[in-house]
Amino acid sequence: MKSRFTYQRANNPGEAIALLAQHGDDAKIWAGGTDMTLHWQREIVTPKICIDIRGLSHLDFIAAESDAIRIGAMASLAALERSDGQHHILAMLSDITKLMCTPQTRTLATVGGNMCNASPAADLSPAFVALDARMVILGADGTREVAAVEFFTGVNRTDLGAAELLQEVVIPLPADGDVQGSYRRIDRTVVDIALVNGSAAVAVGSDGVISKVGIGMGAVAPVILDAPDAASTLEGKTLADVTRDDLANAAAIAAKHAKPITDVRASAGYRQDMLEVMVRRALEDAITKHGGTLQ
Amino acid sequence: MTVLRVNGRNMEISDRGDRTLADALRIDLGLIGTRVSCAEGECGSCTVLMDGEPVTACLMLAPQAEGHEITTIEGLADGDELDPVQQAFIEEQGFQCGFCTPGLILSAKAFLKENPNPTANEVAVGMSGNICRCGAYPYIVKAVLRAADAPRAKQPA
Repeated sequence: MKSRFTYQRANNPGEAIALLAQHGDDAKIWAGGTDMTLHWQREIVTPKICIDIRGLSHLDFIAAESDAIRIGAMASLAALERSDGQHHILAMLSDITKLMCTPQTRTLATVGGNMCNASPAADLSPAFVALDARMVILGADGTREVAAVEFFTGVNRTDLGAAELLQEVVIPLPADGDVQGSYRRIDRTVVDIALVNGSAAVAVGSDGVISKVGIGMGAVAPVILDAPDAASTLEGKTLADVTRDDLANAAAIAAKHAKPITDVRASAGYRQDMLEVMVRRALEDAITKHGGTLQ
Repeated sequence: MTVLRVNGRNMEISDRGDRTLADALRIDLGLIGTRVSCAEGECGSCTVLMDGEPVTACLMLAPQAEGHEITTIEGLADGDELDPVQQAFIEEQGFQCGFCTPGLILSAKAFLKENPNPTANEVAVGMSGNICRCGAYPYIVKAVLRAADAPRAKQPA
């Protein structure tokens, strides 16, 4: 039997945090509610209190600023899909949302909810890890920040404390030059989740030198993985000198971090092999978007 | 008292918050054109419009719809005059058993508002949130393309 619960609407973040503090594990947050309603119906969660934060409209924003892109936790996937004209990184994220669930679910589902559900196969999460996004977390005593890669702590588990809310995702933009990103995944059809995925972000300074590389990998471990050792093999290289072999080498190093499992959707070996291909292609995309010719 | 705005009218539903919008529409309001098949947001049968945007009514709680304008299949026709999308589905026979049809028509309404002049491929991708187990897809695509050619369909819901 799915649980009976009391529905409570939070009118501001403070109210939501106070309700969480009051009810502890009995309470669950409904943002868009698409994952929570499903988990409740399947009895994966058995809340006694539902805290509906859908009305927190001031967390519903997408802003492209000079030093960062800020995405409010309550921005819907549909809003992110439509934000492609605001910035080329938002255009990249918009393309990712088109791979996610269905148009109907994208109307309801929020970016914050997608993060807090913490699926290892989530589509936006590897991109946020590659882009070195910061998660801004709101608690009773104010906000704190955690790196996207640290935010995910297990399957459906995050760094959020018992009485904390995700407020926004902040993607830093380089002070000099520009950043380009790409996301690649293996799926079977539309309306599917990734069998394996990989994302890359490459920042190039105005001097043409690669200043920062980020890699995010999903569906190959309980959490989204990064690969700073692989990224560092490319940092400091001149964009014009980067070769396909350099990227293949970095992808091979990155893929060593994976701990894939075999399940109904794919075997561990397939995931391991395809991960390297996804990361290599994502790196190639990012370099090509910068105008790199990949000798 | 929980009041939903459905098809232009205020309607009272149960105060119980632990129910889906689909249940409230079907059980409290008798609007059984909102079909529930998978109840997991996969099949799109329960699609309704919320402020003109498509949503799966099985994946949201009824009180989450409070303060929004909900349109179900029962609210599309103007008296005896069918909506152009409904008319196009009849003319192209964009269905077989008809179970999924209300959801498909409401998805098509929202899709055509976003993309009034789609290609067949854009229709296929735009309608990908609705499953038809009879496999009437070629006729569904034709119906949406026909509706796109009907002038009134280009007006917002």
